[in-house]
Formats: sequence, C-alpha cells, structure tokens
Amino acid sequence: MSETTDFLYPFIESNEDDVGSLLTDLGRSARSKFLSSAALRATTLERCTASLAATATAMARRLEGGSRMFCFGNGGSSTDAASLADLFSCPPWGRPVAARSLVDDTAILTAVGNDVGFDLVFTRQLVAHGHTGDVAVGLSTSGNSRNLLAAFASAASRGMLTVGIAGYNGGDMARSSHVQHCLVVDDDSVHRIQESQAALGFELWRQVQLQLATVTIPAARPIAPTETG
Amino acid sequence: MVRSEGEAMALTEEHVHGSASAHAGDALALAAFGLARRFATGGSLWCVAPEWRPHARHVAVEFVHPVVVGKPALPAVCVDATDAVSSLRALVRPGDVVLSLGVAGDRTILDIVRRVPAWGAMSIWIGAGPRPPRGSVDHALWVDDDGTSAAYDGRLVFQYHVLWELTHVCLEHPGLLRTGSAACDAAAADVCVTCSDEGRLGEVISVEPPTAHVRTASGIEAVDVTLVADVSVCDLLLIHAGTAIAVVDDVAPDR
Repeated sequence: MSETTDFLYPFIESNEDDVGSLLTDLGRSARSKFLSSAALRATTLERCTASLAATATAMARRLEGGSRMFCFGNGGSSTDAASLADLFSCPPWGRPVAARSLVDDTAILTAVGNDVGFDLVFTRQLVAHGHTGDVAVGLSTSGNSRNLLAAFASAASRGMLTVGIAGYNGGDMARSSHVQHCLVVDDDSVHRIQESQAALGFELWRQVQLQLATVTIPAARPIAPTETG
Repeated sequence: MVRSEGEAMALTEEHVHGSASAHAGDALALAAFGLARRFATGGSLWCVAPEWRPHARHVAVEFVHPVVVGKPALPAVCVDATDAVSSLRALVRPGDVVLSLGVAGDRTILDIVRRVPAWGAMSIWIGAGPRPPRGSVDHALWVDDDGTSAAYDGRLVFQYHVLWELTHVCLEHPGLLRTGSAACDAAAADVCVTCSDEGRLGEVISVEPPTAHVRTASGIEAVDVTLVADVSVCDLLLIHAGTAIAVVDDVAPDR
C-alpha cells in the first residue's frame, strides 16, 4: 500500500468543523486508490499471462465437451465466486456454459455446517455433483481457507480440473498439489486483491469464450468429458 | 425530481472543487460522508441488486464483517427478495440509506430510487454504462463504460470497497457527522431544497376521498387529493401545503 495516510491526522488537535477539508482529502484518497487498483489489475494480468492462457485452455477443453463448472469462496469471495458463475452461465456475449455457485443455497450451507462442520460445506456438494472433467474454481484472498483446500482435494480426487484464485503469496492453495492451476494476486490489501481477482476471472472467461468460439457448437449428445483431469 | 432532504444535495461538488463536474473520487467522498452521517445517527444500509445479486451481498458483508481487524460492524443488509420494492417499503426507516447496484435502465432500481425520498432515506446507486437521469438519486457512483464488463472485472467492486474505506475514515471524525453541527448547518444552508415550493414526495398508504394518508420523509400525513384523480395505494404524490398536486408517473417502460 503506497497510499499516504497523512489525511487521517489533521483533525486530531483541531475542532472538527471543516467538512470541506475532509471531503477534499477523501476525494484525493479515492483517486489514489483508483490508480492503485487499476495498476494492480494491469500488472496482475500481465504477470499471469502464461498461467491465464494455460488455465483458460484447460477450462475450455472441458467446458466445450459439456462439463460443468462450480465456483466457491467465503465472505466477499463467495459473492465474487457467484458473480464469476453468473458471467459464465449468463454471459454478455458468447456461449453460456453450465456454471453455478456453491454458496447460494443456505439450506445446504447451514445443514452441512451444522451437522458436519463448515470445512466441508463445499466438499459435500462436490461429492454430490462433481464428475470427472468438471471444473472447480475457488477464490480466497489468503489462499488458506480450509473449506476451499478440502474442496480442491475432493475435486482433484474425482478427476475434476481445479482452479484457485488467491492473493498475498498464494498461501496453501499455491502449494497444494490438488490445485492444478493457481492464479495469485501479489498484494496485501484484501480489497485490492479482490478487485484484481475479479479481473483475473473476467480474463479467464474472455479467453475461454474465444476458444469456445473456435469450435462448432456440438449437437445434442450425452454429456461426456473429452478428457479426464 | 426534488429530493426530500437538504443534507444530501447540500454537500454538492462545490464544497470539494468549485466544479460542477465532480470527479468520481469526489462522488465517492460525498457518498461516504452522507453514509457515515446516517450510520452515526443510527441509520441502516439496505443493499439491493436485482440483476447483480452477488454484489448486494458483497456490500453487506463488507460493512457487517469488515476485513480490517478492529473496524466496527455496521448495520448493512442485502435485500434479496423477489419484490424488492415491497420489502424495502416495509424495512426502510427515515434516516436509513438504500444502496442499489445495477445499470441505469434497471426498472426495479428506478422504482426504488424515486420512492426513497418519501421513505426519508438517502439513495446511492452504483452502476456502469449510461448514467441514470441527473437528480434521480442522491449519489451516483458510476463506471463509465459500455456497461457489460464492469460488474465482473473488478471495477464495480472497487466502487463499494472504497465507499466502505472512506465511510470508516469519516466515522473517525464524529464531530463532523453530528446532525445539526455547525459544519453541517453551514453546508446545508446553501442549497436546502426541502420544503421549497417545488413540493415534497409522499407514498400513499390509504385513500378515502377527498383525503389520503401518505408516508413522507417527516412521517405520516393526511393530504387532500381533490386535485388528483385515481389515487391508489403505493402511488407517489407530489404534496404542497397539505394538498396533493400531482401523481408522479410510474417508471418509464424499458427502452
């Protein structure tokens, strides 16, 4: 975080009656954050160029054959996972794919969380729905969320393609043999990380769409993966 | 449409730059200050995103369970109902804030923001693409692009992340947030449009001609509806001196 924090202090020893100064400083701060966020998104996409291409190719190979995609995360990352699933399933252009979020059903989340434990809320669903060749995409800013690591292990054991999107240094997700593709936003601000994680997800979607566009949309056929993960 | 409260409109761009075209950063600053004032006086934040539902949840979790250790939990709620307008009508109280996320053509949001003044709340609209009509919302935080990618590529998230960050900065200056403080009075003195002869908004609760009970920013009032025809429950009325002088049109049809 290179942002100055000087603006936080001018009021400490003065009467608080200068709304204009506060607003000016807030506006300046917002512009600084805007530049930081945009720069991090650009450098992240550039730094991940090769891994993005490899991940998108692996995803497109599975999704073009009719495989499904499951997205998950915790907290704000759960909502980013849901947005990513929405982007893939209801895209502004291109082919919709069978993507959905594993965080939307509160009955399942609370049932598994209460009966078994929160570490298995995603694993339980992958056991029910996941098949060889499906795609599991998990988002975590720390890369250390236990329920994501458990879900990736389960997904990998079922022959699914596993894609992690993390922050900081990638955490345990970057080191896990169960995460075949791990894209990392190299920063230490949760908010800026999430903004760049969204940019990575959008770029993944865009590249997958470009690859799907090069193949003829197959006629109806039984869902069968073209290869195993 | 006239806003029902002076505060939001009073803190105009002129306080920041003396410029009529405020930068997006200044729009964020003004929205954060208004939101912090509402939180400081007991208000709640209601979040709704009919077409981008995950974003409403993301905003709510930011405020309720902050990522920065030590920041206070603030009352924010994602309203994810089938009929968001009816839910908000029941939930929103004077002094609250309604934050909508969606494109300018989102008819549910258009219906929400036009009713918010009658509910006594402040409105924030975060979106992308063409902007909503000027004056239709207290604070528009906008990503100016074609409106198809900002919701997914991090730029929309940035808007409410920074809204959260700046709101907490404002909350560290409680002296500036007190309603009726010298600072706020001075700011409000310039452009207070509340109670001007342009009228106030009221939402009809019940009708027994020639009288209707309406909900306004200042409470429930009985108004004379002799001058307007066919008043129904939930209609928005323009009220002046105890008399309804017009029924505000419904949201325009889709483009």
